[in-house]
Amino acid sequence: MASNLAVAVLNGIVWGLIMALIALGLNLIFGLLHIINMAHGALYMLGAVFSWYVIELTGNYWLALCVAPLAVGLIGLALERGLLRTIEDKPLVTIICTFGIMLVLQQLALTYFGGTARRIALPIPGRFPLFDLQYPVMRIVIAAISAAVMVALWLFLNRTRYGLWMRAVVQDREMAVALGIPVHKVYMWTFVLGSVLAAFSGVLAAPIVSVDFMMGREILIMAFIIVIVGGMGNLWGSVITAVVISLIHGVGSIFVVPSTATVFSLGFMILVLLVRPQGLFGE
Amino acid sequence: MLKMSGICCYYGKGQVLHGTTLEVREGELVGLVGRNGVGKTTTLKAVMGMIPARAGSIAFRGEELAGVPAYRVPRRGISYVPQGRHLFPKLTVKENLEIACVAGEIDPAKLEEIYGYFPRVKERLGQKAGTLSGGEQQMVAIGRALIAKPDLVLLDEPTEGLMPLLVQAIAETVQAINRRGTSILLVEQNLKTLKEICHRIYIMEKGAVVYEGTPSEIEAAMDVQERYLSVKV
Ligand SMILES: Nc1ncnc2c1ncn2[C@@H]1O[C@H](COP(=O)(O)OP(=O)(O)O)[C@@H](O)[C@H]1O
Ligand SMILES: [Mg+2]
Repeated sequence: MASNLAVAVLNGIVWGLIMALIALGLNLIFGLLHIINMAHGALYMLGAVFSWYVIELTGNYWLALCVAPLAVGLIGLALERGLLRTIEDKPLVTIICTFGIMLVLQQLALTYFGGTARRIALPIPGRFPLFDLQYPVMRIVIAAISAAVMVALWLFLNRTRYGLWMRAVVQDREMAVALGIPVHKVYMWTFVLGSVLAAFSGVLAAPIVSVDFMMGREILIMAFIIVIVGGMGNLWGSVITAVVISLIHGVGSIFVVPSTATVFSLGFMILVLLVRPQGLFGE
Repeated sequence: MLKMSGICCYYGKGQVLHGTTLEVREGELVGLVGRNGVGKTTTLKAVMGMIPARAGSIAFRGEELAGVPAYRVPRRGISYVPQGRHLFPKLTVKENLEIACVAGEIDPAKLEEIYGYFPRVKERLGQKAGTLSGGEQQMVAIGRALIAKPDLVLLDEPTEGLMPLLVQAIAETVQAINRRGTSILLVEQNLKTLKEICHRIYIMEKGAVVYEGTPSEIEAAMDVQERYLSVKV
């Protein structure tokens, strides 16, 4: 029992940190561009799929972790410039547009990558003892990398000039323009950053889950739940919520099958929203 | 320095500026006064490129501003202090200042100059702008405009909602800033403040300038004050 609980808690934290990265990207894009990005899960999936190809070619997971997010970032750049820029400030249209992007990306993945799920070998195969069970070292590494990326993101937002611009645009876009901030450039890089974060999480998740063209679907729903429960626009609220929801799900999975454990997470969401409709950390 | 002529602006289909024409010369402190809703704020926003002008021209140092993307206007040397301050409430005072230096780092000399006008700003540097009092926010808003080292500052009702004592202090500071060589276009609803510090004053009515004169000329033209500003003389 103790070992099961320890594994559940560890899994909850590892998965929570991956989910936090995904939700951060989604929330960042929402906060700045006011876009509800339905394609976010598909970008996550693309990250995993690209990493599978890179690993097939080179056998190097760490290379894939660098290359795949950059490739998805380029796609994000093209999407923002080519599509989203033209329908700025039309929330409904952007939802439909990003939904369409999601379908296209999924279909492309099905066509070229195929419909069967594929596994990626653990790049660090070792395990360490946890009570009477063995826990993969790689998962701890994945959690550490996620946490490091979040610290880097925090530093970027709070210690760099571009980060300052991003925070200002969130608060008062008109004034930001009047002070000379190139808001459209900020939008573009925010969307690219969000896409890179989604893809990066996809590569991190790939050795844990299997790579599959539909893997972004469920993730998208979970990410939305996290952003809403944490509070729209509150980045660090998303991080805490992601970990809490994953822990609830992980610990719940000890007692019921994992798919049923989702009920606990959803129950948590409903409870929170009943008490605080603006989310745990929303204003 | 700034020459606005025949500017027409619209909000949707409603026309707000009907051929506004005014000028700020090098080193001048010019007042723009008028009742609520006559288009003073819109005039300043047109200069900043925040609202497109459908007709007319805005020349700054001989170069046309109409059509320049809004975010490039500050780089030409114009700063804006909007009505209602519009600080970034969750950024610190220091960050609010830093952000206006789009071109690069804060110039320490300019910062000292701002501290000279408003010692309070220096005391509040680490505080979130949203926690400041109205007067302090106005000081930061003016500081934020100055830190970009503008040649021309557009000030929209900087004394709105402030205590009389502060109104006086802000007015004197605006005059001091102008005396150090920065041209200023100052919008106010209160003619009295403008008469004390401005070189010239424009009166606006229904989207157009209807009177121009020095403070003493306006003082003499009682009918003008009564007609356009509902000032009982
Ligand atoms: N965002 C807006 N949308 C539509 N109409 C506006 C908007 N802002 C101002 N107006 C209208 O334009 C006119 C001029 O406004 P404004 O320039 O703010 O006047 P002032 O600054 O002189 O009080 C007013 O009648 C106001 O109702
Ligand atoms: Mg106004």
